[in-house]
Amino acid sequence: MKSAVSDDRELLGRIKAGDTEAAGELFEKFAPALLRFATRLLSDRATAEEVTQEVFVKVISRAHQYDGRAEVSSWLFAIAANACRDRRRRDRRATVVPLEGLPEPPAKGEGGEKRLMDRQQRDAVRRALSCLSEEQREALILARYHDMPYAEIARVLDISVGAVKTRIFRAVETLKSHFAEGAATWNAAN
Amino acid sequence: MECSELTERVVDRLTEQAGEASLRELEDHLAACVACREEALLCERAWSGLEGDPEAAPTPEFRRRTLGLIEDEMLRARIREFKPRRSWPRFAAEAAAVLIAIAGGFLLARRGVIPAPATASTAAASASPEAILRDNPRLANVSYRAGSDGKLEVGFDVTSRRTVAGRPDDPEMAKLLAYLLTRNAETAGEKSRAIELVSQQYRPGALASPDIVSALTATLRKDPNPGVRKKAADTLAGFSSTPEIRAAFLEALRSDHSPSVRLTAIDALAASAAGAPDPNTIESLRERAQDPQENGFVRAKAASALRNF
Repeated sequence: MKSAVSDDRELLGRIKAGDTEAAGELFEKFAPALLRFATRLLSDRATAEEVTQEVFVKVISRAHQYDGRAEVSSWLFAIAANACRDRRRRDRRATVVPLEGLPEPPAKGEGGEKRLMDRQQRDAVRRALSCLSEEQREALILARYHDMPYAEIARVLDISVGAVKTRIFRAVETLKSHFAEGAATWNAAN
Repeated sequence: MECSELTERVVDRLTEQAGEASLRELEDHLAACVACREEALLCERAWSGLEGDPEAAPTPEFRRRTLGLIEDEMLRARIREFKPRRSWPRFAAEAAAVLIAIAGGFLLARRGVIPAPATASTAAASASPEAILRDNPRLANVSYRAGSDGKLEVGFDVTSRRTVAGRPDDPEMAKLLAYLLTRNAETAGEKSRAIELVSQQYRPGALASPDIVSALTATLRKDPNPGVRKKAADTLAGFSSTPEIRAAFLEALRSDHSPSVRLTAIDALAASAAGAPDPNTIESLRERAQDPQENGFVRAKAASALRNF
């Protein structure tokens, strides 16, 4: 039986050979994870979708550069992490109005309450993640939501395993204070 | 185990990367140290506090658009620029022809005979570009080259190899470029390449030929690929603004699905209305800035443009 890693390499080999179906299979396999990664890093669904599209276009045009040293999934996440960094840099230059004051769209129709709760949960997580530095957020998201071992995160972010551990450690330290403050505020208000 | 190692050890446990020995040491330490037990609980709460983020699954629309882009990119990756190898006899004949033309021109000039200025000209063909394009042929192996004196050379295969040379604002050349963009380019890759070619031929703020403007505004309005529409918008934004361009941007701002296209439309409309903003532009920007369903960046940019007015 073939391993998932060799399956992924085979897919990339077929893409290099011009097999469009293989590119579709790669999309089906990795798009959900890459989209979630980008959404959490960028905190904006529409921008995350654009970045994920860019990632797949880059993967196809750079398939010949894949040297097989890292797993295909690590390579894809590395491209996604770089694309998110580029996008943040560009958006920092372009955006001049702070977004905090802009109202969120109201939840409408059936299941509105559930959607409202989902949104509140999502906002709470996003607020927590936004307390972290970009570097801490990248490492933490890969560890927390993508179950990546330290060594793989190190390959994706092109840093040492020690640096990965430090970033996650510091992220947890920051989150500890964030959630403790949140609980204290909640207790005081109630 | 020391108390100072606590967070690191707990993080190793949370990420399931702690060895058995390390886990045992941690548990022994927690059993004995109340302060570290509380600290460990805080770490675990922080970790589980990140749970409430619903997973964002790709929507069918995103899937359809991305698979379309992937297909286009795969096609593009297969296209290689056509570069025929030049044989020495042919090269020598071409060089001789050029020398004869230069000598002929020099003699004509000395005799006071000035030939009519050339607009777009075809090599290896007697028909004009208009005649070539009359039957809507498929132009294959399209290649581009910046010629001398700001001229552009576009080579393609119809029934034989043709090369058309001329300035981008020559009506015939503009028609050819517009044709390449609207009728000949089939994939997003080909369209993007044609748009890039057009955009390279004009300096920022230049007044573009009406054929080119019509081709680009049609692409901005109708092309299904957001990347192609964005390229068309970027190129139009670089031209001197005209009512046709402004109308296309207003339409894009109201109805284009891609936030990046809408952002470009805002920039272009704001730039063209900087001196004297027209009511339509102000109204459209206000709508975008106040629409709660709109993308945050688009709303912010629209608000910023209005503020600058």
